[in-house]
Amino acid sequence: MDNMTQAFILLLAGFVVVFVVLILLIIIVTLYGKIITAIQNKGKKKKTKAEETARKIPKEAVTVETYEDKGDDDGGIPDEIIAVIAAAVDAVYGEKPHKIKKVKKSRNTRSAWSRAGIIDNTRPF
Amino acid sequence: MEILQQLWQIICTLINESGLSRLSWENYVMVLVSFVLMYLAIKKQFEPLLLLPIAFGMCLVNLYPDIMGMPETQMLTEAQLIDKGVDPASYTTTILNGQTYYNYTENGGLFYYLYQGVKLGIYPPLIFLGIGCMTDFGPLIANPKSFILGAAAQIGIFLTFIIASALGIFTPQEAGSIAIIGGADGPTAIYVTTALAPQLLGPIAVAAYSYMALVPIIQPPIMKLLTTKKERSVVMGQLRPVSKLERILFPIIVVVIVAILLPDAAPLVGMLMLGNLFRESGVVERISKTAQNELMNIITIFLGVTVGATASGKVFLSLQTLGIIALGLFAFCLATACGVLFGKIMYKATGGKVNPLIGSAGVSAVPMAARISQKVGQEENPGNFLLMHAMGPNVAGVIGSAVAAGVLLSVLKV
Repeated sequence: MDNMTQAFILLLAGFVVVFVVLILLIIIVTLYGKIITAIQNKGKKKKTKAEETARKIPKEAVTVETYEDKGDDDGGIPDEIIAVIAAAVDAVYGEKPHKIKKVKKSRNTRSAWSRAGIIDNTRPF
Repeated sequence: MEILQQLWQIICTLINESGLSRLSWENYVMVLVSFVLMYLAIKKQFEPLLLLPIAFGMCLVNLYPDIMGMPETQMLTEAQLIDKGVDPASYTTTILNGQTYYNYTENGGLFYYLYQGVKLGIYPPLIFLGIGCMTDFGPLIANPKSFILGAAAQIGIFLTFIIASALGIFTPQEAGSIAIIGGADGPTAIYVTTALAPQLLGPIAVAAYSYMALVPIIQPPIMKLLTTKKERSVVMGQLRPVSKLERILFPIIVVVIVAILLPDAAPLVGMLMLGNLFRESGVVERISKTAQNELMNIITIFLGVTVGATASGKVFLSLQTLGIIALGLFAFCLATACGVLFGKIMYKATGGKVNPLIGSAGVSAVPMAARISQKVGQEENPGNFLLMHAMGPNVAGVIGSAVAAGVLLSVLKV
């Protein structure tokens, strides 16, 4: 019985400590998130409107091109890849109504050298 | 004739020294168990990076127990030392009843030395360092409320602790080590168990890693049982972008708070956050790469084989192991259920903006648990992408289980 009381106390202590520590983290992370966003927004407001409109992505960059695929329906593209492409399109379009009609693997016509150049120039870091 | 006799004697000695005469039936059973685990690791790909070394360590220690043997010190006379062909001058002496003895030390087995990293609590924090380098806390910073779900899933640990204590076959320390399986975090489970109940390390590590591998089978039924179709099809809004400064400050703030409030969790959380700072600072890419690749791989090998090597037949084949396996599953299910239930509370509290499915990702098991939230959510609504939302509770679960481990250690450590 003594063991059980100890176990019960530990149960309560565990709940309390885990929640207190994590709630404390929530408060702090939320607060400093707000502070940082506020500071950064201040800096952004100084920029002229013209600059902001220039930064907007041109419309043609986000239009989804549809390809005609002969025969093979999914073109052998795995479901995961299609899900990722759909997620990316969704992230760009957001609330606007959109629909993906077809996803098709483009034929790689570039030479190895030009591919290496593209990889080198588009790598994030 | 004499030659034949000598030949026979050599064969007899070899047989006596071989496993055939030295191993007990438990060892053979354990070798078979290790074969099953190897099959699961290779064929079914159950956490193969860890299960394969664990299974092989288990196999090896049961075939050759001396590989885990401790170094032994014998007191020998000078004559005995010279018989062994060693120089007496290099040994310390003890004088007993006027006779001088030399302290002759024989080295321990290979795994004995590698195991010190587990025993002294070195490997798990180093693994956490690598995990920190690989973890993106962005979704958690963007939505700090995820911490609640990471905490909720830890309730499973403490409820299991109560049940394990009530059974009466485990000491409180053992019950705590078993309960931590519910945290679904291998390194944390190993860290807690080596401190509280090292004798149970083998079964607990095997149970923890097996259940983590079984996340895709264990979690979805619980998630579906506890949520309605409407709740599952909630589409969550896009997360806000997180600035680099926030990402850099996050690990520093977390480590300051956790280490002050709960010093016992400091080694795990500290190394996790150090790794994350390496990653986010962007100025030590070389270190970050080493920590998450080479260092982590080396430690994983050592950790795997030596944890497997603690599973010798006499320890593993007991009623306790069955209890651990059953309670571990229970802890895991409970953790999932608590996470989902808290997700439901958040769903109600936010007026239907939070999908309760992300709650199950509060058990650590990164990133498998988050992927399951995504998968179950997509079954209801193929256009729903919960993955990044589930990553928040998922990484919060890692911090949460380290905090829970800190609580267990500070209360139960003798």
